[in-house]
Order: sequence, then structure tokens, then C-alpha cells
Amino acid sequence: MMAVSNQAYANDKLALRGGSAVGHEKDEEITKALTFALGEQVYGIEIPYIIEIISVPKITRVPCNEVPYFIKGIINVRSKVVPVVNMRSCFGKEEIDYNEKTSTIIVSMDDISVGLIVDEVLAVLSVQQKFIAKTPELNNVNNNKFINYILEMNDGIKLILDIKKIIFDHDLMLRGE
Amino acid sequence: MAKIESGMDAMVDMYIFESNTLLEQLDEILLRTETANVFTDEDINEIFRIMHTVKGSSAMMGFENLQLLSHHGEDMFFMIRENPGKIKDSRFIYDLVFRMSDLFKAEVELIQNGGDYVPTDFSDTIADLEKGAAMIRDVQNQPETSTADSPSVPASTAGVPALPRDENGMSVRIFFQEGCKMEHLRSFLLLNKIREEAHVIDYEPKNLEEDPNAAATIIENGFIITFDKEDDNTVTNIIEKAVNIASYEIISAQENTSAEPTPPPIVEEVSAVIETFVPTPTVSSAPVASPPPRSYEQAPAQQPAPNQQINPGKQSIISVNLSKLDQLHDIVGEIITTETMVISNPELEGLKLESFLKSARELKKLTDELQDTVMSIRMVPLAGPFQKMNRIVRDMKVKLGKDVELKIEGETTEVDKSIVDNLNDPLMHLVRNCMDHGIENNAQDRVEAGKSAKGTITLNAASSSGEVIITVSDDGGGIDTEKVLKKAEENGLLYKSAREYTEREIQNMILLPGFSTNEVVTEYSGRGVGMDVVRQNIEKCGGTLTVESVFGEGTTFIIKIPLTLAIIEGMEVEVAETIFTIPISAIKESFKVKGSDIIHDTQRGEMIMIRGVCYPILRLHEKFTIDTKIVDFEDGILILVETDKKNVCIFADRLIGEQQVVVKPFPPYLNRYNIKGAGLSGCTIMGDGSIALIIDVANLIEGYQ
Repeated sequence: MMAVSNQAYANDKLALRGGSAVGHEKDEEITKALTFALGEQVYGIEIPYIIEIISVPKITRVPCNEVPYFIKGIINVRSKVVPVVNMRSCFGKEEIDYNEKTSTIIVSMDDISVGLIVDEVLAVLSVQQKFIAKTPELNNVNNNKFINYILEMNDGIKLILDIKKIIFDHDLMLRGE
Repeated sequence: MAKIESGMDAMVDMYIFESNTLLEQLDEILLRTETANVFTDEDINEIFRIMHTVKGSSAMMGFENLQLLSHHGEDMFFMIRENPGKIKDSRFIYDLVFRMSDLFKAEVELIQNGGDYVPTDFSDTIADLEKGAAMIRDVQNQPETSTADSPSVPASTAGVPALPRDENGMSVRIFFQEGCKMEHLRSFLLLNKIREEAHVIDYEPKNLEEDPNAAATIIENGFIITFDKEDDNTVTNIIEKAVNIASYEIISAQENTSAEPTPPPIVEEVSAVIETFVPTPTVSSAPVASPPPRSYEQAPAQQPAPNQQINPGKQSIISVNLSKLDQLHDIVGEIITTETMVISNPELEGLKLESFLKSARELKKLTDELQDTVMSIRMVPLAGPFQKMNRIVRDMKVKLGKDVELKIEGETTEVDKSIVDNLNDPLMHLVRNCMDHGIENNAQDRVEAGKSAKGTITLNAASSSGEVIITVSDDGGGIDTEKVLKKAEENGLLYKSAREYTEREIQNMILLPGFSTNEVVTEYSGRGVGMDVVRQNIEKCGGTLTVESVFGEGTTFIIKIPLTLAIIEGMEVEVAETIFTIPISAIKESFKVKGSDIIHDTQRGEMIMIRGVCYPILRLHEKFTIDTKIVDFEDGILILVETDKKNVCIFADRLIGEQQVVVKPFPPYLNRYNIKGAGLSGCTIMGDGSIALIIDVANLIEGYQ
């Protein structure tokens, strides 16, 4: 239930940003985002999509040839069966062994939940209009297909993911390599 | 009203549910009385009550056409009730009421489907119902009195449907305590309270809320409510419980509405009824009648009213949305999993925990009970779908001119609600098939074959070891295997030489797609789509359908379905780290073998001979590409599984044990991948929180060959 209202909130915010963001003060907070690292690169996910963050539990592989390599299997999150995706292999990076910093971020949209395995969860930051980079053409950057927008902040660039694509656009993910 | 307002959904749901339940009750009574050919007073009253309730709720929902229809049905039964034993053509009445009930159901379905609802016009049927009512009335009136021709025809007040007849109403005059103030609002509140429980026809004065003079009128004349006399007890109860009421009295319907003409025979009846209610017929219109016919003080002594109708407002059954039950079921599953996590928590190891373990046992007992109860809530008896078949047999009996009796056995057998919903259609098709193809067309043929002229169709349900077995059998001609074989050949359904088919195989051909032996396509069956659709529907809810038949003696369709979809009895097996659950119902045996027992076939791989039969071996680790150390047959275990088509031996590392598991579908994120085709039907969460994969034996074998 929480997830649904959160999403409504997120959609609201997205609409604001996509449409007439002009009305926004430069330092007004649009939303919050959770940042995580994959190797050196920092990514972010908007908080409203996030259900919870857990360590990497025991993953049960789904032994079916059709299931793509980046879907690692299914996990039990408080009696709910949730699929997990390794963000490294999803973004065409080499997979590494899970360690104590490896985390699973459970995201949800339209009642579909997915666990995203990331190297390390970093922080929660405030997304403000003034940080959003004006770079509409991102097509040359690798794995940009999943990027909603880019934040340019003092401590570096953060790529905010488009959760909708990650949850619904399997084909895009398959071509992601 | 062309559209159902939003926000009324819950009420519409309730209305649909109620109406359907009542209409089914109606059908049941009609079928029973039709067989017995006698209407008891109780039946008539019950039908009358059903019609009345339906009418009331339709009016409340604003479905005027339905209200009108049930109103006229009610009228007709009123006539029947008033003129017992004088019905000449009962067939006509039955057909009429069945027709009405069907129309009503169809309309309710329309409403249920939502969207732009356009009310159907029922004027034809209403006219027939009026005719029916008139017919019954005339039967009564002709011999008795000439006043029957009086212009004041009762009941057919089609012009004013909102105001039902007076003869069915009863009025009560209420006086409030002197000086209690705001009489009009008090009246309004009382009226609303009565409306909740009873059917209020009229009240006086109107405009309670707006008209300030209403209070004065009430003080002077009392507040008069006309309600359905069947609700007598309910209304008097409410009035007695209300505060600030000085006294109330029951007054006759005519007094209150004397302006409207009432036909003579009815007047007699109404007065008679009223006399039983009112011991002293002296009813005055003065503010305080002396003595009040039925005052507040003496009312309780006279409480047992002649009409001992049950109060429809009080039921011991409530209807619950299935999704809420699913939710409850999920939570219980979570509780049980969590319980195991708590009790067998590794941190407790080595501690002396006497009272903890005692409490844990107590908790376990309670959660087991909770689980059983939740499961039992979802279980419903098969009586509902079975009873519906009565109606089909009845209709087809008339249309086909076959004399058939339907026997129902074991209808108290319970299955999961979701299965019952999926069973209606298959059952209907099977019963139709028995009626149409099974039972001989000519009763003479039956007699010649040494059977009774009357055919019998038997519906039976019984549960045995986690399965419900439903049989639909007839004592008709049975399946002519030669004819079936010939037909199958013509339709190109044979894949081996005709002589190689066993009798059972041939009989089951009638379940194949595109098979129909009936030359003529009838209204009911014979298009050759029926039986395989039936089979598919049953397979959809995890069941199987088979046929057994003895030529000349009859045919039996056997449906086997799991007791519930959500929980299966499973055998846990392990392949390296992965745990699989194989449904126990598919397992024939499990055993260890020596490597020398294995037969290597160049074409079909490894096989094993058990009691003279050769079974192929399927290595789970190969099938699902799992790395395991156990690849020699001596180290692992073989499990012989069977589905209706094939047997195969599954090779796994080891057996873990037998366990009841809650089946969970794979998450929707994975829906686009054909996991089921790979031989996995779902997953389940085990006691320790890990996930086991449930093997779909049929698909596993299919994919293997």
C-alpha cells in the first residue's frame, strides 16, 4: 500500500519535472534519491520507488533457458517471492563476488517488485533542479538507456535510473550489453 | 438509469450477490415443488418473500424494470397464496416463473458486467405475469361472486410501480412523548431506522425534514408509517426500542389509504389478517384512542405475531471478498514461516529453554489451527454447482422429450472456492452431453434393453486423499467404440493403426478437439467443441477428465481435481543447492539403484527396467544445468513419476522429505519467460525461508521427449 502512494507521489514529481519545471525554484527539492556504486560509477534511484534495502539473501536460480543471464533468480523477502537482477551484468560490467557491502535494493512499480544487486549503497541525497544536468543527448554514453537524468554535484556525477525501464523493458535490458 | 453511479460499487456487488442467491433459492423451490407437484403454504410464502425482497432491493438500487418485473411476480404469487389449491394450469405458472427468473438473472448479469447498462424492457413477460395473476383470480372469482367484474382490478398498478399494493401493507400510528420537541426530526430518524430493516411503503406527513409544520401535525395526528405487513415484528421492535415514544397503535391499511379502491375479495382477506393483529377492531383516528388497540405497554405480551417469518436482516453468513481471504491466507503463511524462523533460530542453540519451548509448542498448535481455519474458510460445498444442474436437466427434459431423473450424491463435499467457480461450465457441458447423447432418444429402446423407461443421470462427489472425484454418469446407451473409431479415422485423429487402440483409449477419443459423433448439431451440444473445451477447463484448474463406458449400459465422466490449488503435498528433493518439490500425487515410488541396472540405449539415453517395464531416466541436474557432485546413480536416488500420458524416472541427489507446501506463482516480472514450459509450475517458501521450485511433472516429461 505504501508503495502505491509513494509511486503516485513520484509520478507527480516526475510530471512536474517533465512538463513545466520552470516554476521550480532552483534549490527546491524535487525528490530524494538513494545513491549506490557499481565500481567507480555512482547511480541513483528515486526514493519513492524503493521498498527496502537488504543484504544479498540466498538466491534460488530459476533453471530455465529463457531467463536471461542478468536475472540471478528469486529471493524470499518476507514471504514474498521477488526476482533479483544483478546491476553489474545488466549494465554490461563484469560480475564480482558478493561481499558484506553488496546490497539488494528492492524497487517496485505497479505492484511488480524487483531486487537490484549493487556493489554498495552510499547515501540519500536531495534532488534539486539546479543539479540536473542539461544533457538531453546521452546516446553515446554506455548503458544510458536506463538513465532518467544526470545530477552534477560537487562530489561527482550521479546517474539517476529510470526504474520503469528496468522493471518493464526486458528487451532493452537484453540489448544492454 | 443508464449508468451505475460510481461509488455504488459495493452496493451493486451486494445487490448482485443477494439477488443471485435469492433467485437460486427460487429455482430450487420451484424445481422441488414441480417434482412433488404440490405447493405448500410454506413454499408459497417463501417464494413470495423472495420476490418481495428482490423487488425491494431493485427499487432501492433504482433498477425500475427489475422492480416492475418482480413486482408482478409477487402479484401472481399473492394470487396463488390467496387462492390455494385453485391453480388449474400449474405448468403455465412454472414456465412463467422460470422465465421470469431467467430474465432476472440475465439482467443481473448485465448489471454485473458494468459499463453502459441499458435496462431491458420486460413488458412481454410482465403482461404474461398479469395474465397469470388474472387467471388465478378468475378461477377463484367466477364461482363465488359477480363482483369479480368490478372495475377495480387489484395489483396491476403498473402505472405506479413505486407504491405497492395496500393489501400488503400495514400502518402504525406513533405518538411521541409530550413536550419532547422536534417531533418531525424524531419521526425522520425513526423512519430511517425502520427503512434499514423493513420495507416502508408510505408515511405521513411527508416532508419531515423541511416542513416545520410537520411537528405540529405529528403532535396532533401522530406519525403514520405504512410498511409491509411481513415486517410487522421488525418494525414493532424498532418502535419499542426507540426513545421518547409515548404510544403506538396498529391501524388498518384501508383507513390510511381509503381513497384508493381495493377489490372486494382482497378486502376480506386484509381485514382477516388485520383482525389477527388487532384484537379490538375499533380503530379511531383520534389522537389518543381509548383504549389504544395495541399500546406500547401491552405490546410485548402479544409479541408472537402470526407471521413467524425469519428476520432477513439477521444472518449467520456473511460474504467476504475472495481477495481478502487470499490476503489472510498469505499472512498466515508468513506467520508460519516466521514462527519456524523464531523457534529454530540459531542463536537459541545451546540455551536451556524450558518455558520457551513450552510456549513455542503452544504457539505451534495455535498457528496450525489458524491455518486449518483459514483453509476451511475457502472451502465451499459442491451443492451450489450441483443444484444448478437440476435446472438444466429440467429444461432439456422438456425440449428433448426425454424422461430423465437427476440424482445428486455427495454434494456436501467441499472444494476450494476458485475451483467451484471453474467447475460450473464443465459440469453443465457434461450433464448436457449425458442428456443429449447419453440417454437414448427413444424410451422404448430403454425398455427393450431391460432398463427402466426413465433415464437416470447421477452426479457424485467424493474426496479421497487430497483429490475430489466428481463423476457424471448416465445409464444410457454408452459409447459405441466402433462408431467412435470410425469417426476418429474420418477426422484424422488416429496416429497408430486402429487395431492397436484399447477400448479405454477409444472411449477417451471423444475428449479430443474436433470430435463429435452426433450427426445433428442440436441446441445443446454436438458442435464437437464441447468435450475438449470441458477437458481444457478442468485441466486449467489442475484436474483431469476421463471417460469410462460400457456399451449399452451407460457412460461415466470422471473429474479428478486437487482439493485446493494453493496447497499441495510435495516431496522435497535436492540437487546440489537447489531444492525441488515434486507433487506427491505424481510420485509412484522412489528407490536406489546400482549402476549395473541401467540400460543404455543409443537413441533414448539411459533407461531402467522395473518389474518388466522400461522407464527413461531424466537427470534433474542435466535438465536444469545444475552443478552437482552426484552424477552416479548409486549416489543419488530415482523417483518414478507418472502423469496420464507417460512415466519417467527422475534422478536427484537425495530426498529431503515430505511436506505440505503453499504454492506461489513465479513473480510477474518473470512472466514473459516460459518457465512453465521448462517444467516448473511455481515455487514455495520453505520453513527455513529458502525457496523451493515446484516441478510440473507433465511439462517436465513433455519437454524431455
